[in-house]
Parts: sequence; C-alpha cells; structure tokens
Amino acid sequence: MQEDAPILEVKDLWKTYDNGVAALRGVSFTVRRGEFLGVIGLSGSGKSTLLRCINRLVEPSSGSIRFGGAEVTAMGGKDLSAARQRIGMVFQHFNLVKRKSVLTNVLTGRLGAVGTWRSIAGRFSPEERARAAELLGIVGLGDKGDVRASELSGGQQQRVAIARSLMQRPDLLLADEPVASLDPSTSHSVMRYLEQANQEFGVTILCNLHFLSLVRQYTTRVIALQAGQIVYEGSPQEIDEAWFRRIYGEEAKEVRIQ
Amino acid sequence: MKPLPDARAQHTDRVRRAHGAARWRAALLDGLLAWYILGGTVWFLRWWTHPPAVSGGAPEAFSPALHLGLLVGGVLLGLLWSSIRTSPGRMAVARTTPLLRGDAPKPAGGFWRTWHGRAVLYALALTLGLGLRITQVDLYALFSREGLAGARRIFEALAQPNLSIAGVVFDKMVETIFVALMATVAAVPVAFVLSFAAARNLSRHSAGAMALYSLVRFLANLTRSIEPVLWAIIFSVWVSFGPFGGMLALFVHSVASLIKLYSEQIESVDTGPIEAIEATGAGRLQTIWYAVVPQVVLPYLSYTIYRWDINVRMATIIGLVGGGGVGELLMQYFGLGRYNEVGTIVLFITAVVWTMDWLSAKVREAIA
Repeated sequence: MQEDAPILEVKDLWKTYDNGVAALRGVSFTVRRGEFLGVIGLSGSGKSTLLRCINRLVEPSSGSIRFGGAEVTAMGGKDLSAARQRIGMVFQHFNLVKRKSVLTNVLTGRLGAVGTWRSIAGRFSPEERARAAELLGIVGLGDKGDVRASELSGGQQQRVAIARSLMQRPDLLLADEPVASLDPSTSHSVMRYLEQANQEFGVTILCNLHFLSLVRQYTTRVIALQAGQIVYEGSPQEIDEAWFRRIYGEEAKEVRIQ
Repeated sequence: MKPLPDARAQHTDRVRRAHGAARWRAALLDGLLAWYILGGTVWFLRWWTHPPAVSGGAPEAFSPALHLGLLVGGVLLGLLWSSIRTSPGRMAVARTTPLLRGDAPKPAGGFWRTWHGRAVLYALALTLGLGLRITQVDLYALFSREGLAGARRIFEALAQPNLSIAGVVFDKMVETIFVALMATVAAVPVAFVLSFAAARNLSRHSAGAMALYSLVRFLANLTRSIEPVLWAIIFSVWVSFGPFGGMLALFVHSVASLIKLYSEQIESVDTGPIEAIEATGAGRLQTIWYAVVPQVVLPYLSYTIYRWDINVRMATIIGLVGGGGVGELLMQYFGLGRYNEVGTIVLFITAVVWTMDWLSAKVREAIA
C-alpha cells in the first residue's frame, strides 16, 4: 500500500434505520493517513451513525466504505474482525466493563487477536500485559491497573478507553463525542491524549465534536453534517460566524471552552 | 461492493408487510373480544330468564349447539368489527407495532369516547359481574354459625401443636429444604447457558440465533406454564413417589423460571460495553464473556437465592401430591383429621419460610 494513499474512502453512504429515519443521505469523503479529522453537526445530524457505519457497528443501507483499500461493507466474519482490530473506537460514555479491573479493560483491546478459549480463561501473554501496563502509564494511570473501572472518574475512564483502543495498535481511531460528558479541563486532557496518539503514534483520527473551539484547536480538517449530508468540508480555521450559523441554525451562538 | 436495494423502498415494503400481518392479529383480537362479550351477555340473560335451581348455585351449562353458535357469531362479528379502523383490535395492534405506531388512528375525543371503547368498558364490567357469579361469592356462608364453629375448632387445634412429633417434622423439613436446594443448584448451570440464547438483544444478529431464541423461549414458557404440582404428579409416575420426584419437578420449573429472569437481566444490560468490545474485533463468545457476563453475575446470584427461597415454599406444596418432605407428612395428618399435629407442621413451615425469606433478603442486599 502506498503511503499517500487514502486510509479511508467513503462513497455515497446511506443509512435508513428500521423506523424509517434516514440518518445518512449520500455521504462521501476521504481521509488521508495521519489526519485528525473533526466531524461536527447538531445532535441527530448523523455523526454517530457515520462513525458506527465505518466499523459496521451499524449496518449501512447502501454505499461504499474502503478502509486501507478493502471494502468494509462486503466483509464478513474473519475479515471484519481483522478490519475492526485495526480501527480503534472511543465513546461518549466510555463503555468500559465497569466491574473489571482497569488493566483487564485495556487488555480487551486485544481480544480480536487472542484465541476465544485463551481469552475466556483470562490467559493474556506477559508481553500483552506489559504493553497494557505501558499504555496505562502513557495515559497517566500507571498506578490504577488493579482498580475497578467503576471507581475511576469520567476523565480517567475515558483515558482507559483510549489505552484500550491503542492496545489494538490501530491505524484509525474513531472517537464518538469523546469529551461530551466531561468538564472543560478534563476535556482538554482527553483531547491531548488523542492528539498524542495522532502525532506520536501516527494514528489517523476521526472525531465527532460538539465544540468548535476544540475543533479549531485539535483537528487538521473538518467536515460538517446536516440532516445526513455533508454541508462543509475544509480547514477548521475557515469556519466563520456565517458557516457556524448554517451548520447549527440561525439561533445558535458559539460557546467557547477555555 | 455488494449491491444493496434502495433503503426507502425496503422500508415501505416492510411497512406494507407489517400492515398485512397486523390485520390478522387485529381480527383475532376483535374476534376474541366479540366472542367474549356475546358469550358473557348470553350467560347473564339465561341466568336472568332461567335462574339456577338452588339459590346462589351454578346455572345450567351451555349446550354444544349454543357454544358453536357463539363461536361462529364471535368469528363473524370479529371479522366485521376489525374492518373498522378504530376497532379495539386494530387500535391495540397499531399501537404495539413499532412500524405502524406512527399512523395509528386517533379518534376525536379519545378511544374511550367511541362506541368501540365503550364496548371494551362493557367487557370489563361483564368480567366483574361474571366473576362474582362464577366464584359464587356468598357472605352468608362466610359468617354462618356452623361455619364459624368449624373454623374455631381448627384454629384451636392449630394453636395447641403436638410437639411430641417435632423430631419427625424436623427430619422431613430438612428433606424439603434439600429438595429445594438440589433443584436450584441443578437448574442454575442449565438456565445460565440457555439464558443467553433466550435474550433478544443477543439473538437479533442472525436468523439462526433468532430461531433458537424463539425455540428456547417457547419451551421455557410452556414448561413454566405447567405448575410444579403437575410436574410432581408426572414425575411421581416416572420415578415413583418421594423426594427425588419432587426435586425433578422443582428442577424443571426452576430452569424455565430462571431462564426468564436471567434473560430479562441480559436484555437490560448496558449496551455500551457490548459495542466497545465488538468494535475491538472480538468474536461473539468473547463479547458475551467480557461485556455481558460481568454485568449479570450479581443479579443472577440474587435471582438464584430468591429462587431457592421460592422452591422451599413450593417443595412443601409438592409434598402434598407425593413429592416427599414435610408436605407429605402434612397431607397424612390432615387426612386423619389430626389438627394438633398439623399445627406442629404449620409452625415449622412458617418458621422456615420466614427464616428463608429474611436470609435471602439479607444475602441479596449484601451482594447487590
């Protein structure tokens, strides 16, 4: 694969849910390796659906998604598992297994690569454990490995979720509103870990965000969704007041996170 | 890429098929309601024109011809009724089918103001009236002199338990508790495995899993709807009278009940961790083990203890029909009319049930 080939190509993606709601209506865009792409738009504009279609947590209705040159929508079983291992994901509500230890939560990032019975017996290799501990150190939670995930604060839980996704050694990281349920200062700390993953580990990032100030500070490019369609694509610095109104509606007023 | 049919066309097609299926379900509901209203009304009219021979007794049974007539009338009226958009069956089906809820009819002034709603209210009133007549509620019997004297005789004997048989009762009580315990312990692993197949949220992904889901659910519901007492009678023939038959009866019923309780627990788990584990590329078994099981083990334990508690009570009842334990003893003394001994047994049962109730509540509280 060429280095400058796009890592992700989405073409004419449609998603209509069983209740008739058309969440995505012909979305097309391309992501190059190493980008930190922000996705903005109102709640219900299709941002979450878009991210979930890329790793097929949601089945697309029609269209094409090429990840590293391979067609994701045509994959089944083993192929899909292999693709998902290379696509990390973090969620708005962290989605950790709350009753398990922090270290075990990070180790679950490797499940796709570990045999079913070995993983059910909990027998991860020493290298995998060492790697999980190292990643916990990177997100600043080196001393929390044995603590139950439920005992951590929201920001700490999101950092564990980032460590879990990095455990996959992903090429692409999908972040679905990663800071929407965190306070402003914690938001920045979590965003900085994503930035670190992007700049130091070379992980391409696709990140749904609510706040334009975060978009301007962290992303390299941005697309805006409105009612399931892309209405803006370009540099985060070029989104001015007029564009903001078009995306978020006439009544909107920008809120800044310091 | 694989060709995908147009999403909107797919949707309208689904809605159309849902409409077709809904019409039949609505006709069934309307037919049942029409048959019930017709039959209940005829029952009352007959009771009015031909009062039963004994005052307060049951009236004559319906003749087969009348039954047939009511059935045919019900079916015809039901079909006719469900051709109206606001019939009770059409309304109920439209409101409970997600695809059709959007365009369910909204009668002016609300459903209860239409004559359809009034018909449902009439059916409810009819039910209350029929209930009073059929159970033969009789306040005279409840407070008659002879009745009260009999009750007093029994209560006095119960209040003076014959404690000389306490040793035998104790042994039989232990038997009952162990019958309940063994039935619960044996039921847990079976129900644990089957509960995952019986959870809708884990079965939606494929047609095969959905078929297994329906099968397990159907068998569990069927088994559960047969009372443990009936199972005890079946097993008393199969493995002869005694505690083993009683244990098997409770085992079968416990498996079915635990499947229901367990799978409902699975259906209410937080879906976030499931999504997250799936997204890492984990297989189905791994996803269940890492994202579902940790969320359900404690509730499972709680339900299991609760089930043991219920089984102790049921084991007593099962003893009455030959399932061993203290119930058997109770039946013997009751048959002989020896109420002082019955009093001793009732005392033991009450103490054990109360203790189990309290213990299980405490343990469940501790692990929650």
